[in-house]
Amino acid sequence: MKPTELILYKDHLSYWLRQLRKERELIGPLRGEETDIVFKSVENIHDIVLDLPAILPTVKEFLFPQYEPMFKYLMTDEVVDLRDNTKRVIFGVRSCDVTALTLLDKFFLDGYKDPFYEERRNETVLISIVCGRPEPECFCAGLNTGPYLEKGFDVQLTDLGDRFFVQVGSPKGHSAVMRFSFLFRKPYKADYEDQYEVFLSSKATSQKRISLEGARQLILSGKVKDDFWRMISDKCFECGGCVYQCPLCTCFTVTDRVFGDIIERVRLWDACLFKGFTRLAGGILPNEERYLRTKRWFYHKLIYYPDALNGFGCVGCGRCTIACPTKIDMASVITRLKVTAGSEG
Amino acid sequence: MDKILTVCPYCGCGCGLYLHVENGSISGVSPSRSHPVNRGSLCIKGWNAHEFVTHPERLRYPLIREDSYLRKVGWDEALGFISSRLKKIKKIHGPDSISIISSAKCTNEENYLMMKFARAVIGTNNIDHCARLCHSSTVGGLATTFGSGAMTNSISEIADAKTLFVIGSNTIEQHPMVAMYIFEAIEKGATLIVADPRKIRLAEFSHIHLRHRCGTDTALLMGIMNSIVAEGLVDIDFVKKRTENFDSFRKILKRYTPDVVEGITGIHADDIRKVARLYAMEKRSMLFYSMGITQHITGVDNVKACANLVMLTGHIGLPSSGLNPLRGQNNVQGACDMGALPDVYSGYQFVKDPIVRRKFKRIWGVNLPEKSGLTMMEMVEKAYKGELKAMYIMGENPLLSNPYSDYTREALQRLELLVVQDIFLNETAQYADVILPAASFAEKDGTFTNTERRIQLIRKATAPVGESKPDWEIICELSSMMGYEMNYRGTYEIMEEVALLTPIYGGILHHRLNTGLGLQWPCPSTDHPGTPYLHRKKFARGLGTFMPVDFIPPDEPPNDEFPMILTTGRIYSRYHTTTMCGRTTVLEREEPEPFIEVNPSDAEKLKIKNRDSVKVTSKRGSIRLNAYITTTVPEGTVFIPFHYSVAPANALTNPALDPEVKIPELKVCAVKVEPL
Repeated sequence: MKPTELILYKDHLSYWLRQLRKERELIGPLRGEETDIVFKSVENIHDIVLDLPAILPTVKEFLFPQYEPMFKYLMTDEVVDLRDNTKRVIFGVRSCDVTALTLLDKFFLDGYKDPFYEERRNETVLISIVCGRPEPECFCAGLNTGPYLEKGFDVQLTDLGDRFFVQVGSPKGHSAVMRFSFLFRKPYKADYEDQYEVFLSSKATSQKRISLEGARQLILSGKVKDDFWRMISDKCFECGGCVYQCPLCTCFTVTDRVFGDIIERVRLWDACLFKGFTRLAGGILPNEERYLRTKRWFYHKLIYYPDALNGFGCVGCGRCTIACPTKIDMASVITRLKVTAGSEG
Repeated sequence: MDKILTVCPYCGCGCGLYLHVENGSISGVSPSRSHPVNRGSLCIKGWNAHEFVTHPERLRYPLIREDSYLRKVGWDEALGFISSRLKKIKKIHGPDSISIISSAKCTNEENYLMMKFARAVIGTNNIDHCARLCHSSTVGGLATTFGSGAMTNSISEIADAKTLFVIGSNTIEQHPMVAMYIFEAIEKGATLIVADPRKIRLAEFSHIHLRHRCGTDTALLMGIMNSIVAEGLVDIDFVKKRTENFDSFRKILKRYTPDVVEGITGIHADDIRKVARLYAMEKRSMLFYSMGITQHITGVDNVKACANLVMLTGHIGLPSSGLNPLRGQNNVQGACDMGALPDVYSGYQFVKDPIVRRKFKRIWGVNLPEKSGLTMMEMVEKAYKGELKAMYIMGENPLLSNPYSDYTREALQRLELLVVQDIFLNETAQYADVILPAASFAEKDGTFTNTERRIQLIRKATAPVGESKPDWEIICELSSMMGYEMNYRGTYEIMEEVALLTPIYGGILHHRLNTGLGLQWPCPSTDHPGTPYLHRKKFARGLGTFMPVDFIPPDEPPNDEFPMILTTGRIYSRYHTTTMCGRTTVLEREEPEPFIEVNPSDAEKLKIKNRDSVKVTSKRGSIRLNAYITTTVPEGTVFIPFHYSVAPANALTNPALDPEVKIPELKVCAVKVEPL
């Protein structure tokens, strides 16, 4: 299906969002302290930041929260479903995150359907904005995971100065736009030209190229020895930041909390970088050595993910580069990988 | 979904983080990207700082002990009970029979009120907190040498340093965000010197690792200084213009030639000379220290030796050049700043100074005690002897954190009244007569001061669980009930009073902290931008003073019966007595069981294998735990983290005290290890 294409004047943005907010919780990028941007419920629509940096916080938490109550079990044998079914519209999402969600969908919904993710996903509409100014950390352009998407989005906006070029790519997006069709008009030739201009300039400024496929081939060729992973992991703080911030990391653990007569089951983000992650009975730690855990994280992203889900476990969002205290991130590790493997022939 | 900017409740780094609030409860955490300390990163504890807040074991209502069980009571009854018992004890035994332990986990405002409660309401200076066990040596040692006991630089300055000398700090594990900047500096070409008997993780990245014998830090530092003098690397101009008492210090220094020091510390004389050159010859040299320096009977001497070293080389008073004690708890700097100490009011204003006392009396409207109060360990001793009758402990767990737990336990049991105010029923609370449920960091407003003196707002994200209340509200209500009105509409009003009475906090007001990411003291007026580094043109006390120090060996050297040295500390995934970490799923899972690190050659002699159970005994007690065989510890030395109540390291540790500030020697005692 070719996406429906429309024009929305920025003057009408707040009206549109206000209408959407009548039915859904409106989440948008708002200013935190200093230059921080956070995604949270929008109180005042005019506070939404439109002049955004490329790297925004991940929206993974709205579909797969860090701490998620699942159900309550009462001693009367009653089970209360605690699934969140809040209807949300998230404005200002990055293309890389939208791409990540199409992979998360495969993980959570192909075959066994994770009901918690499914419910949230069905109730969420994403309005993404094409990214015009990439940051030094991110590299979506070479991976085709951004900054401009052909498909996978609900609604994609391209900033043309005084107006947005709007593309509708899903039934959810269609409904969010078409019910307010009086706000939108058909694009003219000049609009297409302007949109192409933005597309070109955003492509031109996205210069960082990291070849995940190249890295995958190097690893599969057997040229990357464990010494490399030892060297990479020696500064790892085991904080889990790369996992927590990655839009494609999905590990969780489950815990039961006993409040007197009520037992609440909760799921929480977990991370394969923690040595306790694979703790076995009897206190055995199969991955006690740090390099084994670092190695597995990169293997998961570069080998297992493509094998299982037909896509890399990385969309080039650059968040691991920011989160890692010692810069053991996807981009720099792949660069070092190529240098090391290259020098060893 | 709301996101509330606040400060991590774990260590002194003071990372900025957002608490995510969904449907009225916390659903996650994310780091602040523009924060000057953490820049978008967090450590494992920070990433998991939200989970304990809603834990089922949170204290939800006040409890009073009745025989062997705890009865749920209302606030009025609990506070009425405490008020009448305290008043009675004060009347019969005098105000000095009561003591208060304040908390480095609580806000500045709460610590200020607690210190006001002790002094103005009870009428005693018997107030102290866990800084006694960590950096009291710093507060004491740097007060006499510089006039101000705090980190002199800012954390972000580390990235531009050229030489980093880390002594007695396991920085990667205990101050991860400080280590992040150390790595950045190394990346830019800085030299890293680590002095630590243990092969800590940071030592793997050091250019020189000095593994001196436990408790010989003074000698090591004196040796380095001797070498600096001998090789003509002294900043003579600085010593002449900015310091005093150099000559008497020099007389003692002469005795510590590298060869003599080699005999004491086990460090090769050439390495001592090398470190002296590396440290002295680079201008942007930063010295870092932590518990390895302070937790000794010579803690103050060790700190003074560090201070002498930076003065000798003039490595202070500049960006990326200074002396940096890394403070442990999230607000231990603030609790000290607020005067939760027996000898000073807020801002290190001495209790014994009549002018200061008069100032506080005018604002507080009551006569104030003149005599310095008891320190933490003295309180325990007096309680043991029956001279101290009541103790009010806010947010601390001395039963697990103090040395010689059996003694502490007995002392607590002998009290007529023990009040514990906490977020969980910790080990100490099990001996309490009254337990008051407090709100956690996520459920209240206030400020924390991090290790780089940055005062930052913490903000209420959710309502307190159950009937728990913020500590400051509890103190206000109890105080008013005892006849001294404390009436504040919010924590900002308390801070206003702090600013009025405390010169270094003179310009710290909540509305100024509400935008931006905090202010660093000294900040004397409301138009002052704060101070990123200290002692620029002159020291806080005017001239820096060289304090002559002499090496004194540890109080309890190994002997035939107890042939090994035990040193204690913390591990990465746990924090102190683990009331919070132990209730966080992934943190608890990392190291669920206590362990003792044993060197392979000792293990061979003792005939123990990895993960074997061993019994560790000192003069004071004995514990059982599993051995972890590793070269992290040198031969003859064992290490036990003190987090675990099932095998508390502090059942073994030595309560011998530094004569000046009464910090116990938690870092060295003699033990024997036996296989089971």
